Amino acid sequence: MDANVIISLNNVNFYYGQNRALTDITMNFRKNKVTALIGPSGCGKSTLLRLLNRMNELIDDTRVEGDIIYEGKNIYSPDIDPVEIRKKIGMVFQKPNPFPKTIYNNIAYGPKLTASNTGDINMLVEQTLKQAVLWDEVKDILNQSAMKLSGGQQQRLCIARALAMKPDILLMDEPTSALDPISTAKIEELIEELKKDYTIIIVTHNMQQAARISDETAFFYLGNLIEYNKTEKIFTKPDVKQTEDYITGRFG
Amino acid sequence: MKHAINNQINQMKWRYLRQSAFFGLLRASALIITLALGGIIFYILYNGLSVISWEFISKPPTHSMTKGGIMPAILGTIYLTVGAISIGLPLGVASAIYLTEYAKQGKMIRFIKVGINCLAGVPSVVFGLFGLAFFVILFKFGSSILAGSLTLGFLILPTIIGASEEALKSVPQTFREASLALGVSKWQTIYRIVLPNALPGILTGSILGIGRAAGETAPIMFTAAAYFTAKLPGSIFDEVMALPYHIYVLATAGTNIEATRPIQYGTVLVLVAVVLGINLIAILIRGYMRRHKRW
Repeated sequence: MDANVIISLNNVNFYYGQNRALTDITMNFRKNKVTALIGPSGCGKSTLLRLLNRMNELIDDTRVEGDIIYEGKNIYSPDIDPVEIRKKIGMVFQKPNPFPKTIYNNIAYGPKLTASNTGDINMLVEQTLKQAVLWDEVKDILNQSAMKLSGGQQQRLCIARALAMKPDILLMDEPTSALDPISTAKIEELIEELKKDYTIIIVTHNMQQAARISDETAFFYLGNLIEYNKTEKIFTKPDVKQTEDYITGRFG
Repeated sequence: MKHAINNQINQMKWRYLRQSAFFGLLRASALIITLALGGIIFYILYNGLSVISWEFISKPPTHSMTKGGIMPAILGTIYLTVGAISIGLPLGVASAIYLTEYAKQGKMIRFIKVGINCLAGVPSVVFGLFGLAFFVILFKFGSSILAGSLTLGFLILPTIIGASEEALKSVPQTFREASLALGVSKWQTIYRIVLPNALPGILTGSILGIGRAAGETAPIMFTAAAYFTAKLPGSIFDEVMALPYHIYVLATAGTNIEATRPIQYGTVLVLVAVVLGINLIAILIRGYMRRHKRW
């Protein structure tokens, strides 16, 4: 396998009960790149994202076929603990979802409980908040409830919370769809910054966003991977007609 | 034209009238409840207040229960209620956690839930007989605090399970997802995130349970309550006097029912006060917790 590939899917099918949500997906995600997953609602892009950290199995009556290889192993093989996978593959959700705890405890929660981290928690909190470009805004109110922050601040807190686990990959499920343009710009800047250290896979409904921040883009339609290419290529001269139609707004 | 307008005005008047009539009905219903509650409390106070004294609540009964106080019964009821809660609460919360967080929704779970609802509908005297057969005789606990607490604990179980289930379900799914996505285990997620946020709701269920446990007579009649014992229980294997049973005894089987009438009302008053008191503690704890959660 290519050394630049961090996680790869081989002939992956996914079912909600009888419904097939993903059909025969084969693709490689590259290390330290931002990959955008785009496509109309219900095309399976969020489903695919949640397959990568095994969040889909929280839903009853779902089934996966095929291999998803990460660190040389199929993450769905029976000897793999999903908890270990989720430590390495962090996630940021569509709606900011901080815990009803203090800002400090939101960050410290994961590292404290997973015992993987025995280092200085105070340092870790400061470091990850700085990484998420939130430190200057919250350094004096670390003991206040995270619920008092604005939506954009909450989302950056959620990113910091995920970073505190020191993951390899960061999955983002439409992280800015609930935010105003200024907060969105801040998150986008942040993603640019983070890709130096992390691999980022982001689902977005916003085509401009995909064009602005991603290196590679995958277009999904009705559970199929239609085209997967360099972002530049996808947005200038895509190989597939359907991709072009979607990007130019002819359907979607 | 004029006719049409008149017609419309009439219609509006009629609609307005109907609306105020229904509001009036609703208001009257609320008023009736308040009046009923007020009436009961006033009646108890009016008849019972005269016997309330320090001696009444601190001394055991004397002269074949026609004089003296009701201290052993007060203590007995507190023991039984605390016992019932310490059995019903952990068991109920644990069941609710299993049902909402772990169990795969399906036929089996539906069956268990129907069972719990049926349990809630079982008459309390049946619980009493079950306690007698099971705890008192089979397990040889005898008529004791332990047997009574267990029986009452099972009696309030459906209330606690129901309230806990609702409370757990009301914790946003996003909290669970956020925690699990960090690589925190399921149990830790439940223990650290779900339970703390569900606790106020769980306590509401317990409050209802406390009220029932303290006030029931039939379940403790055969399992815990003594007709008369001046000595206080030395262990959980002793039987105790209890307020509801004491009232029952005084009112139906006492040596001199007429002479003990004021004592009966006094005991009722104390029972109501004890139930309200225990509830108040739970409400204060819940209020404290609610103030400390925000989402």
